[in-house]
Amino acid sequence: MMHRAFGRGGRARSFALASLAFLVAGLVLRAAVGCDLNDPDRDVRRLFPESTGYKAVYVSIAKKGGAELLARIEDRLGDRFQGLFETADVPYTMYSVFKGETLVGYIHGVNQKGSHGGLQVFLALDPEGTIRSLYFQKLTARSAKAFRDPSFGRAFEGLSLGDFYAYDVRSGLETPTGPVARIANPAPDAAADFRAVLRAVKKNLILVDEFLLDNRHLPSVRPLDAGDIR
Amino acid sequence: MSVFRIAFKNLLRKRTRSLLTVLGIALAAWVLISLFGFNRGYESALNRDIDNLGFQMLVTAKGCPYEAATLMLKGGTGLRYMKEGIAEDIRREPEVEDVTPMLMQAVFDPNKGESGGISAYLGVDPATFPRLKGKLEFLQGGWFERADAREAVLGYEAAELEQREAGDYLLIPDKDVEVKVVGVLKRTGTQDDGTIFLPLRTVQDVFGVDGELTGVGIKLRKDADPAGFENRMYALPDVQVVSLAQVKTTIMTLVSTAKVLVLSIALIAILIAVVGVVNTILMSVVERTPEIGVLKSMGALAGDIFRLIWIETVLLCLAGGGLGALLALATERLTEVLVRALLPFAPSGGLIRIDAGLVLLTLGVIVAIGLLSGVYPSWRAGRVRPLDAIRSEVE
Repeated sequence: MMHRAFGRGGRARSFALASLAFLVAGLVLRAAVGCDLNDPDRDVRRLFPESTGYKAVYVSIAKKGGAELLARIEDRLGDRFQGLFETADVPYTMYSVFKGETLVGYIHGVNQKGSHGGLQVFLALDPEGTIRSLYFQKLTARSAKAFRDPSFGRAFEGLSLGDFYAYDVRSGLETPTGPVARIANPAPDAAADFRAVLRAVKKNLILVDEFLLDNRHLPSVRPLDAGDIR
Repeated sequence: MSVFRIAFKNLLRKRTRSLLTVLGIALAAWVLISLFGFNRGYESALNRDIDNLGFQMLVTAKGCPYEAATLMLKGGTGLRYMKEGIAEDIRREPEVEDVTPMLMQAVFDPNKGESGGISAYLGVDPATFPRLKGKLEFLQGGWFERADAREAVLGYEAAELEQREAGDYLLIPDKDVEVKVVGVLKRTGTQDDGTIFLPLRTVQDVFGVDGELTGVGIKLRKDADPAGFENRMYALPDVQVVSLAQVKTTIMTLVSTAKVLVLSIALIAILIAVVGVVNTILMSVVERTPEIGVLKSMGALAGDIFRLIWIETVLLCLAGGGLGALLALATERLTEVLVRALLPFAPSGGLIRIDAGLVLLTLGVIVAIGLLSGVYPSWRAGRVRPLDAIRSEVE
């Protein structure tokens, strides 16, 4: 666990690490694993202008609860974890943001497979788990500009995990129609990427609820059928 | 009763003292074996890592960043080019076993981070690169087969970042070109993990740099003189040579500081152990002076006494050396963890290599030291005069 106030230390450390990487780059270059903020000092301050510091905790489904937790998260998501990189041992970095000693919110990001590359979808949440803002740290897609438009991000503000339970990440439908269905796709030609963003947001909210909010948004969810796609 | 059994029984008469002396020698042997094991293991691990890179030398245009990390640190700028023909010129050199031409390119991706970032691509020749990089293994798929295919192979971490698997499509931002991912590499612990490989002609075509290269990887023949060849390469106009021999030398220099420190500690430990052995045997000789006198009065020669005391010394050293070797073997993994935590750079794979030869060599060194340190006490015991010795007991 790391608790840090803002300062130049982070940048100096980043520079030192970059220099060290440069020194031995002919032999070793390890890219980031999981989904961290690129520049936490700068990004936390941008997402929470009133903040004075933050604490980062590193968790994974495998360490926190193993297969049982993974199954519960998949049930809540309404979809199985898929592919080579969406696994239980992915490390998640959860940032708790403070103003003085007061908790003002959380920041958390997830990787999501898009149609033409990876998406890194970060949410800034208030202490109750309500979305304050959405931030794409990385978005490889032809319609990236449309998705990064501030108006699209604003459509998520004020939503919380409870709003997403009726949204089926596999079909992309919300029954009955609710706040998620009212979020307009800013790039109609990129329906797959739009659904990927919504899946990433729902998964992100579930992970925050599991790891930081003691499951305060836990509903009774239908377990996935044996025949559900893995 | 053989002289060895007598010597062994003599040592058992002062068990605690003998045990402490054995422990002292064991600690010295433990450090010595671990250090020699590290000496062998580190260099061979480093050589293995360099072999895994596939080529020992890289020729690039002067001033050109030669790997993706540098290119990104420079914000994707500063690329310099060489004509494609240089690869064939180098291939004709007698020291060269194989060459592979490469072309690195970068694009600005406005959708990376808050204010955009750089994505780098390495164009490689499918005919030569896989051959030189024969140790790369695939998690999924395989290499592209045509030099102009719109396909990509991703290092493990590049694939993880882009969430790509074989069969997926990957967009090259800025160029609005999509390529099909045909392979994902297993993790290697090298810069290949973060690399997006495309066929050479594809990169030349997509980025509009036909006939240009940014680097040529060179694998030398086993009997080639790398330094001499490197100097000849510098004679080519406007190129720079990056030799992995230089990188290895730099790393070995960094590590040698740590090695000197540990070797000093080992030498001090051995010195302390030697003093302990001399002290133990000398005390034993002094305590047993009357007994030695009786032995001599019964016909034992000075040489017999010398041999008996010397054998006691050797037995102590053998026991200590053996125990130290067992300790070194038992704690090999733990030592490796500690060494990795302390060193500025540690290659992949085993860093400590302890084998039977090393154990026997160390035992030999310890016994030789024991023999030397046993000379004075044994000589002194051999010179004891029987009457003086017996009289000293009466007094």
